[in-house]
Amino acid sequence: MSNNGSETIPSDSAASQSAIEVRRLHKSFGSLSVLRDVSLSVGEGEVVSVIGPSGSGKSTLARCICRLEKINSGEIYLYGKRTDGSSHSNRDIARLVGMIFQQFNLFPHLSVLDNLTLSPIRILGLSRGDAVENAMALLKRVGLEEKRNARPNELSGGQCQRVAIARALAMNPKIMLFDEPTSALDPELVGEVLDVIAGLADSGMTMMIITHEMMFAKEVSDRVLFMADGNIVEQGHPKKIFSCPEVPRTQLFLQRMLVHFGKELTEGDEKEACRHDA
Amino acid sequence: MTLDFSAIVPYLHMLFAGAKVTIQASLLSVFFGALLGILVGALRVVPVAPVRAIAASYIYIIRGTPLLIQLFLIYFGLPSLGLNLPAFTAGIIGLSINSSGYVGEIVRGGIEAVPKGQWEASKVLGLSYLKTMRFIILPQAIRNMLPAIGNEFVTLIKESSLLSTLAITELTMVGQQVRSVTYASFETFIVVGIIYLVLTSVTSFSLQYVERKWKVS
Repeated sequence: MSNNGSETIPSDSAASQSAIEVRRLHKSFGSLSVLRDVSLSVGEGEVVSVIGPSGSGKSTLARCICRLEKINSGEIYLYGKRTDGSSHSNRDIARLVGMIFQQFNLFPHLSVLDNLTLSPIRILGLSRGDAVENAMALLKRVGLEEKRNARPNELSGGQCQRVAIARALAMNPKIMLFDEPTSALDPELVGEVLDVIAGLADSGMTMMIITHEMMFAKEVSDRVLFMADGNIVEQGHPKKIFSCPEVPRTQLFLQRMLVHFGKELTEGDEKEACRHDA
Repeated sequence: MTLDFSAIVPYLHMLFAGAKVTIQASLLSVFFGALLGILVGALRVVPVAPVRAIAASYIYIIRGTPLLIQLFLIYFGLPSLGLNLPAFTAGIIGLSINSSGYVGEIVRGGIEAVPKGQWEASKVLGLSYLKTMRFIILPQAIRNMLPAIGNEFVTLIKESSLLSTLAITELTMVGQQVRSVTYASFETFIVVGIIYLVLTSVTSFSLQYVERKWKVS
């Protein structure tokens, strides 16, 4: 199977309205099928969290959307433009979607400021002055103005991830993907990164957040997707997913998570949401 | 027998002049060899299989044949194609090409040692392959490679002694001339050896210094 379907097929209205539209996506690594017929639509300004066990295909889904992985079949549209082929340059994709990695992937040989300005100058063609001005505004937004001249190895993990978020925002993308942004952090540094992400969600950015931080997912998202075995098993409002999941696989996963995170996840007025849905 | 260095003292200035040629030849060769080597090493990891294969064959042939034969091919062989090069030029070309094969492998290793995440971050920030290579990968790879490049430089200084076979008056050639005049073979080549040792030591110590400096910054 290949994804060389014609680019000339007009995208229908659903595709052009959605920020992200994924249709019948298949992705395998060799004989290992990682995504099996995944379809998904994310509206403009929507914040979607993706939860699920390791190996469920969450990261691969995000990596396919930002074209770090070639897909085997299916279609991906970003703002109505089909982006899964090779007809778009890296620059085109970068203007649509930014990606945050678990391991930050800052450029260690460049200062924080140069990490932020490299692409705007080299790819978007901004003047150095404009790029620095934007970068400083973004560093202020993530609370790291004073680290402008630091090298990544002088920063804590939380600071690195905040710089990485600022760096992605410097390209002014319409969509931000977060691939387990806090999984590599010491527990006491998780909060500062989640605060930045929550701030971004409030600002109306379209976001897809792959996370194991269930409380965070519940608070910040408009919708939660539960993935397992390469499929979206269940999705819905966070209250519904966390309080009264319908699919046994989701229930099992959340039960296991609850052992770790305590009962807060399901306490309170969510019981009401269950009754309402039922 | 006893060693008597007094016989070669009048010829020391000749040996120093030879050392100067050795230094010139080594510097030129390491410069061009590194340039060519970075190119070959970069081609070695390009995502185009035929290009990779050509670069790999180049490295394979260069590293699999003696430098002496490579020098002979350039100096004695090329004239039969109508290309007559002055001895010094032929020597620099031979040493540079030879060095590029080894530097090419060092560069490949240095590039492959840069974490995959750097490529991925560059891609999602919109950088093309070439821009990623230029701004992100090579600057990091060169730091990884510096110790190995230093060794290559030291090797090159020693191997430049083969230029004596092209009648270039570098240190070894001058040593042979001094020996034939003074008949003090042992003394002459002890002094020649010491001069090489000084050159290689100065080189490796300065490179270690640069390396330390670079690590700090």
